[in-house]
Amino acid sequence: MTKRQGRLFFIICTLISATVFIGLTFDSHRRFPGLTNEDKLTPEIIRGKDVWHNNNCINCHTLLGEGGYYAPDLTKITQQRGTPYLTAFLKDPSQFYSEEKHRRLMPNPKLSDAEISEVIAFLDWVGHIDNQGWPPRPIIVSGTTIPGTDVGQPPTHASVSTDPVAQGEALFRSSPPACNACHSIASGVNLAGPTLAGLATRAAAIIASPEYKGEAKTPVDYIRESITHPSAYLVPGATYSANNQSFMPDNFAADLEPQQIDSLVAYLETLK
Amino acid sequence: MRYRSQSIAYWYFAVAMCLFGLQLVFGLLSATKYLGPDPLLNFLPFDKTKAIHTNLLIVWVLTGFMGATYYMVPEESRSEIYSVKLAYIQLVAWTLMGVTTVVGYMFGWTAGNKMLEQPFPLKIVIVIVMLMFLYNILMTIKRAGRWTVTEGVLVAGLAFAAILYLPALIEYENYTVSIFYRWWTIHLWVEGVWEMIQGGLLAYLLIRLSGADREVMEKWLYVIVGLVFMAGILGTAHHYYWVGVPHYWLPIGVFFSALEPVALLGMAMYAYFAMRRAGFSHPNSLAVHWTIGSTVFTVFGAGLLGFAHTWPSVNKWTHGTLITAMHGHGAFYGAYAMTVLAMISYILPHLTSDRKVEGNSIGYWAFWMQVMGMFGMTLSFGTAGIGQVYLERILGLGYLDTQLKLQVHFLMLIATASVFATGAALFIWNFFRTAPRSVAAIDSSTSAPDLAPAGHANSAASG
Repeated sequence: MTKRQGRLFFIICTLISATVFIGLTFDSHRRFPGLTNEDKLTPEIIRGKDVWHNNNCINCHTLLGEGGYYAPDLTKITQQRGTPYLTAFLKDPSQFYSEEKHRRLMPNPKLSDAEISEVIAFLDWVGHIDNQGWPPRPIIVSGTTIPGTDVGQPPTHASVSTDPVAQGEALFRSSPPACNACHSIASGVNLAGPTLAGLATRAAAIIASPEYKGEAKTPVDYIRESITHPSAYLVPGATYSANNQSFMPDNFAADLEPQQIDSLVAYLETLK
Repeated sequence: MRYRSQSIAYWYFAVAMCLFGLQLVFGLLSATKYLGPDPLLNFLPFDKTKAIHTNLLIVWVLTGFMGATYYMVPEESRSEIYSVKLAYIQLVAWTLMGVTTVVGYMFGWTAGNKMLEQPFPLKIVIVIVMLMFLYNILMTIKRAGRWTVTEGVLVAGLAFAAILYLPALIEYENYTVSIFYRWWTIHLWVEGVWEMIQGGLLAYLLIRLSGADREVMEKWLYVIVGLVFMAGILGTAHHYYWVGVPHYWLPIGVFFSALEPVALLGMAMYAYFAMRRAGFSHPNSLAVHWTIGSTVFTVFGAGLLGFAHTWPSVNKWTHGTLITAMHGHGAFYGAYAMTVLAMISYILPHLTSDRKVEGNSIGYWAFWMQVMGMFGMTLSFGTAGIGQVYLERILGLGYLDTQLKLQVHFLMLIATASVFATGAALFIWNFFRTAPRSVAAIDSSTSAPDLAPAGHANSAASG
């Protein structure tokens, strides 16, 4: 090979690669609006992106898996934590996590109410980007699901079984957002929400207590009410609720079919 | 040193060394935050120390590239630098930009885009400084009317680096599009044009250190840069996993990422065979260590450690874990930090007085402590990352609880990082140990052995 041929090799390799790369870039632009739901990209979300950038969030957290690796991934966070929870968290993270226990803590970002709702809107938009189904299993922020739960098992066995309890168990791991992202079924393991171990037994005690103001008369009714109206009874704890509002998302009554709620209740009723 | 204006390089290297030291201070500070609790939480939390750590890396390595270019271009084009004054103005502007950036980050002045955190006005300063630099170099070559392939590859690499910074100036409303173009700058720098720069500097070092035939070296330089671009440009696809881009980037990422280690291995073989032919006999064996070390560490850090998690079926579990930090440290250090340190080790005896060409024992301690320290750091990040993947991603343990289980790896990280930092401190101390040559001394210093005609380095060295 001569030097001239070497140069030709360099030029041809570079030109071919660059041409293919630029061609695919054009095609990617054609596809971005569909993949990222660009029609839902409101000014509020764009301001939320600015909040994300101005506060240098990415140098600790990761988003779509890119960032600082020092704090949890937030790609699907709005599907694991409701807006009231995230709002309360962003107002003062030290209420939720202890630096003594976890050895790291998010400094208070001192955001205004508007900035908080904007950045949550932004994270929610990111969470709905079509990113080839990543992460393959939910990445949870804290707590342990070992032993007792099996986070991220694909909800396939729901379709092979007609047993409502089995279907409920599958839903527990998959309903948007998955219940087990916040609730463990292991005794004493409180995640973002309280543990559901022994739920059916506790439900009877709760209904009988004077603090209970809801409409349920039986444990089954109580479980159903907790799903459809999370704020009807507030489990004590500053990280579970604020201003008489539970941090649990209240979308389940609208987003789940009545029969799905029946299955969930049937499953949760077994936790005694 | 044959040309007076080559002494510009000393001051670029001096700034680079200061910034290198500062980078390690912020790196060590960041590492201790893994152990926690953090007494500096409300003044200097992790996000700031990490941004400063990575930005200082980019700035000092680029400063080193520029210094090396100011040294190399006069020799290759056989001419003084076009404007020495402009070169110093450029250095002052560049340093001020770097310092302002760091201080700005401490007080929350940031664009918050990973690696491209520089606020917009400072990005404009970076562009202006790069233009000043390229103008000065191109005018030098134009005035001399002579250029070599080696310097051509180097200067083209630097020019592309400036061009590829331009997408970073644009603000994108769509976060996915923002990620898409962020990699045009970061990936195409690191796995494209910076490797071109590395190739140019490597060819220069090999020609000087081994006395290898220039025609042969430049022919293979073309081939290696061709391979780098073939793999590197489309290899950008491995950053387009799971971020909201079309699915076809996945198979493209697999195929071209697999080619990247081939290009890097080619570079290492290029260095090895050039050196073997000359029998490793150049008197500056410290520079030989750094040159060969750089190519070997590049194959390890950039090639193997990158390839280890580039397969989508692996990457879907490792994406966004400390596995990436493992690869990042090995790759940047081997390919870029070590290339600049090789250039400094080769050039320093010509630029400073009272310094033996063959280097001193401090120089070798600096080399081995850095190499072993960085190897240990990549192992620490790697083992931490593997633990993280299994506990957090596969078993479903919470992020924060997983990190608590990785404490022993973070202790190992700090221990090995301390070895590395000691090696780096020795290198920096060794750099500043002797004063730069005064202008009067320059004319009598042209008897450096490696300036003998190609192929005669051995006889000149022994004579």
